[in-house]
Amino acid sequence: MSGKLNVVLTTLLVGCALSVVNARYQARHLFIDQERLQQQQRQLEIDWAQLQLDQSTLGKNERIEQIARSQLDMAPLSPARTQYLMEGGK
Amino acid sequence: MKAGTNASRVAAAKGVAFSKSPVLAVRLPDWRSRVVLFVLFSAFLALAGRALWLQGVSNRFLQKQGASRYERTLELPATRGKIFDRNGIVLASSLPVKAVWAIPDDVKESSSAKLRELAQLLDMPQAELLKKLDSDRTFVYLKRQVEMDVIAKIEKLGIDGIDTRKEYKRYYPQGDVMAHIVGFTNVEDVGQEGIELAQQKNLVGQTGSRRVIKDRLGRIVEDVGLSREPHDGKDITLSVDSKLQYIAYNSVKDAVEKFHAKAGAAVVLDVHTGEVLALTNWPTYNPNDRSHLTGEQLRNRVITDTFEPGSTLKPFTVALALDKGLIKPTTLFDTGNGRYQTGGHTIRDTHPHGVIDVSTIIQKSSNIGTTKISELLTAQDMWEMFTKVGFGQAPRYGFPGAAAGRVRPYKSWPIVAKANMSFGQGISMSLLQLAHAWLIFARDGDIIPLSFQKVTEKPVGQQIISAKTAAQIRTMVESVVSPQGTAAQAQVAGYRVGGKTGTAQKVINGRYSQTHYVGSFAGIAPMSNPRFIIAVMIDDPSGPFHTGGAVAAPTFAALAANALRAANVPPDSTVTDIIIPEHPLEESN
Repeated sequence: MSGKLNVVLTTLLVGCALSVVNARYQARHLFIDQERLQQQQRQLEIDWAQLQLDQSTLGKNERIEQIARSQLDMAPLSPARTQYLMEGGK
Repeated sequence: MKAGTNASRVAAAKGVAFSKSPVLAVRLPDWRSRVVLFVLFSAFLALAGRALWLQGVSNRFLQKQGASRYERTLELPATRGKIFDRNGIVLASSLPVKAVWAIPDDVKESSSAKLRELAQLLDMPQAELLKKLDSDRTFVYLKRQVEMDVIAKIEKLGIDGIDTRKEYKRYYPQGDVMAHIVGFTNVEDVGQEGIELAQQKNLVGQTGSRRVIKDRLGRIVEDVGLSREPHDGKDITLSVDSKLQYIAYNSVKDAVEKFHAKAGAAVVLDVHTGEVLALTNWPTYNPNDRSHLTGEQLRNRVITDTFEPGSTLKPFTVALALDKGLIKPTTLFDTGNGRYQTGGHTIRDTHPHGVIDVSTIIQKSSNIGTTKISELLTAQDMWEMFTKVGFGQAPRYGFPGAAAGRVRPYKSWPIVAKANMSFGQGISMSLLQLAHAWLIFARDGDIIPLSFQKVTEKPVGQQIISAKTAAQIRTMVESVVSPQGTAAQAQVAGYRVGGKTGTAQKVINGRYSQTHYVGSFAGIAPMSNPRFIIAVMIDDPSGPFHTGGAVAAPTFAALAANALRAANVPPDSTVTDIIIPEHPLEESN
């Protein structure tokens, strides 16, 4: 009776030990994945900040006006040559 | 033992077992083995004791030593918050860069060819690099805030003793246009000017840290203990509108050049929310390259400089008298021949206007008219009015260095003070304070707090004058902009606008200068449904023109026309031809 119990307990113990090993292994893998993804997140945040900066730099009003005037031959509108369409048909 | 058996065998073969004799038996004394046993036992005991001691009781030191061999504390840097304009355009943002530092002793052994290349990459003369390396210190910064692509090249050189450290660099994509609002940070990422300084606490992040186990190759294997998450700085959305800011910037810049002025400034406020939509100064500077920065460029004339506003203050005196029921817009005053004696002083108008009503006093900017109106008022009432709209009060804009201006306590006013202040002399304020106070005319007589950050809730106003008075003043200041008024050049095609000019003599060495002026204009646009308050100041114009009507009014017109168009405000006037009289009326003050 006691011998049987010992066998069962030993098997259980070995099983537990192996599952601990497995769990550690899985944990390491997941940890590495997490690390990599966090790294990726940081890089994406930097890229995002860089793109926002680029957008702001390229969308600078000064630059737009200069291009509009010199390359596209555009001129600012004036009320004198604008037909305004008002609600109510005034 | 063995020897004993052999001996007994030998002896047995001969028949005599002599060794059996207890006397002859070779025997060690019992105590000796016991001593050995005891010594061995106690040695083991000592070992066990020591092991127990190290393992169980005094284990801290060894654990620390062990941990320091495989554990590392990593600093988790936090990014400084970004600054946006009201439409989400980035005005300031941090990107990771690296500082290049060196251990001079180690670098000295490197070949000069490599050092030459390094100097080239760092964009500095080789002599300067060598000078930096010729140091007794063990740590020398070679260059801070080097961009990542350069860092990659430096690392490729692989010079011994050269290392890098991560840090952040602040970028200002809108450059000089936004400089006076956004400000800038120093190399340590600490705000020095503008919003960067005012909001330093919110913008700066909290660095975190984590303790990890690293393997032989330096990869992180496991977290140990508690880690402190880094908290990035808060992003801040300002009230400023990039487009309006650019328009204001251009208008001021053009005006300063056109009128050969020393400086110029303009501010645009939103009438409904009290937000600062644009705030600009000329001269200005590029916050991305501050190597040639001068105080003149840095100076924020809208906020930190005070000036005597001159006639732009007249509507306040008139509003007070209207509100108290002392006068009506049609009340007549005799301004005589343009000279008026009071309290031993002579008040002058540039032109004699004769008998005119209150509206015309504003339209023609008559000093004598406002002086006579001020005679109906008490000093205390005027002082209270000025104080309530914020003159002489420390402003709470959340902006560093905001000037309070100066309003003397009414009890110490000399006799002519009432007259002088009625047309804006003997009282000083910043351009922003002036624009802020003008809110009471653009709104229905109430004043709301100013904000540099985007406002989401409807602000609660404090009633200063009645809505009726505010409407009357609006009608009067609109007439200022007519061809008969002092600011005909402030007219805007397609829109009804109104405002008041001011020309103040600069105080130089404690006396009013006869040659140096500050021309200013504060106005409302459009009149039918006020949307903007625009205040313009042109400092020391040295061309043929120097009055507010001649220098500040056209600047206002240019600014307002573009701002209204940019903000999609529908035109409220069919007038598209602007009539500017050949000899516009000059204001007296």
